[in-house]
Amino acid sequence: METALGKGFRKFRGLPWTLKLCSWGKYRYLDFLLSVLAAAFEAASVRVPELREELASWEEGRTFALGVLPKGPAITLVREDGRVRYLGKGLRSPRVSFLFKNLDAALPVFSGLMGSHHAVAESRILVNGSISGAMELSRALISVETHLFPGFILKRILKRPPPFDIRRLILRGKVWGAVAGILVRRGFGRKTPP
Amino acid sequence: MLPAYYQFYCPVKILSGDNALGYIPFEMTLLGVSRAMVVTDRGVAGAGLLSFLEAAFADSDRRIGHVFDEVPVDSSNRVANGLADLFRERKCDCFIAVGGGSAIDTAKGAAIVLSGETNDLLDLQGAERIRKDLTPLIVVPTTAGTGSEATRVAVIFNEENNVKMSFVSDKLYPRVAVLDPRMTLTMPPRITASTGMDALTHAVEAYLSVQKNPLSDAFALLAVDLVRRFLVRAAEDGRDREARFAMANAALFGGIAFSNSMVGVVHALAHAAGAVGHVPHGTANALLLPWGMEHNLGVSAKPMAELSFHLGGASGFLDPREQAESAISLVRNLLLKLNRVSGIPLRLRDAGVGEDLLPAIAQTAINDGTILYNPGEVTYEDALGILQKAF
Repeated sequence: METALGKGFRKFRGLPWTLKLCSWGKYRYLDFLLSVLAAAFEAASVRVPELREELASWEEGRTFALGVLPKGPAITLVREDGRVRYLGKGLRSPRVSFLFKNLDAALPVFSGLMGSHHAVAESRILVNGSISGAMELSRALISVETHLFPGFILKRILKRPPPFDIRRLILRGKVWGAVAGILVRRGFGRKTPP
Repeated sequence: MLPAYYQFYCPVKILSGDNALGYIPFEMTLLGVSRAMVVTDRGVAGAGLLSFLEAAFADSDRRIGHVFDEVPVDSSNRVANGLADLFRERKCDCFIAVGGGSAIDTAKGAAIVLSGETNDLLDLQGAERIRKDLTPLIVVPTTAGTGSEATRVAVIFNEENNVKMSFVSDKLYPRVAVLDPRMTLTMPPRITASTGMDALTHAVEAYLSVQKNPLSDAFALLAVDLVRRFLVRAAEDGRDREARFAMANAALFGGIAFSNSMVGVVHALAHAAGAVGHVPHGTANALLLPWGMEHNLGVSAKPMAELSFHLGGASGFLDPREQAESAISLVRNLLLKLNRVSGIPLRLRDAGVGEDLLPAIAQTAINDGTILYNPGEVTYEDALGILQKAF
């Protein structure tokens, strides 16, 4: 079903540079969302017990990445001292990576409109690396999403959304605060982490 | 009705019926190859099944370059590398895998090595990482269950790192699958029952999967119909050619279905039960299937209700949940009948699994990729709960 926004865009499709402009906009939007996700991974890995428990079984120095093929935005992170550290943009020899096949395939997932299991079902994602590593990353990602997105989005993207819990709400607030702090320090994704 | 988006791919040419083996040399001509490396195991060779294949080449200008009959129970990178060396040495140009999943996966592993894309198979594990076309592979299954003759997957054990490597790629589809009823006539009742239940599990899980689509659904339902009508017959009387042939086709259809919509929690647990508790794959699938269906009942009542009719249930008078529950009962009844005919275990404890192993099986299962495709969420606690019920 076409949205009102889509109908609006359709009118401009014939104009020169429209497609390139759209593609540039999607790239920038996803680049920013990935920066938010990187910050959320870092923040949640310190504060969320389920994620800490998951990370405890990962080997030290495991690198993982999320990104878009063929030349789309990407982020690489590493598990260090039981927490996650953002290494920077691009694919930096990750051991496990989730790569979306194109910008359009990634947009609904990173915008909180589609769950990762739904994206897998629609063959939007390529998984590189060991399957067990990918499953561990998938669980970690769900844990981060659970503390990043509000309940009404979680109902749409998770197979079993968590029940309302005041402690989780407080924890989510703390994660949001930490994410905001990280984003400000990094110039909203423009600066590379030290 | 239709999913918002789906993909379906099955490039395998299927030769199915009496004397299907006889057409292999002609298919080799079409593929532009002339010397085949036959890959099989000692059991198949010892049962004399290769004589049917050799007879097919008697009046042909195509040749069998070499017969490699040392495939182990679990295909490994060492065996795949050795097979690739032998393939070059004997100047072969295609593989004919005769046997079950291990023979087929060994041939696929050797084909990956021969493609020259990497020196280390570990580099290519994962999904869609193989980009080069592989040496043509013709598959002759001797069991009716794995569906490997029509799948895009290979699982190869890495002996150095002690891990099972999974390869998923469209390049891994065999070029030809040959279903000849003569090749499964000697299967004993218990293996007939467990491999047949494997085929049913492929079909049921493919039909319930989050990746289900109209084409995979059609193949899954065909497989369920055939299993319902012919599995008990094949287990009761191994010489029943009609039942054997039907089951070979059921396995193929199940394979096509799950290769395009994947499987779910039952397979995740069965893979783990095999790795941790050494339970044969078909047996594990058989005894876990009703419990896995029960776990998904809350989120998959409608497709499960649709399955009920194909499993032999009455249709149209129950609400979807009741109809779905009847589908689970019908699977349980089928398993009971097979237990009487073949002695296939009904519970994990009967399959030699100790209760102390259940946590390790559950932990391994949640790292299995098939969990992603299961309609319901599966946490460690869920997996352990299903195992405890099946114990």
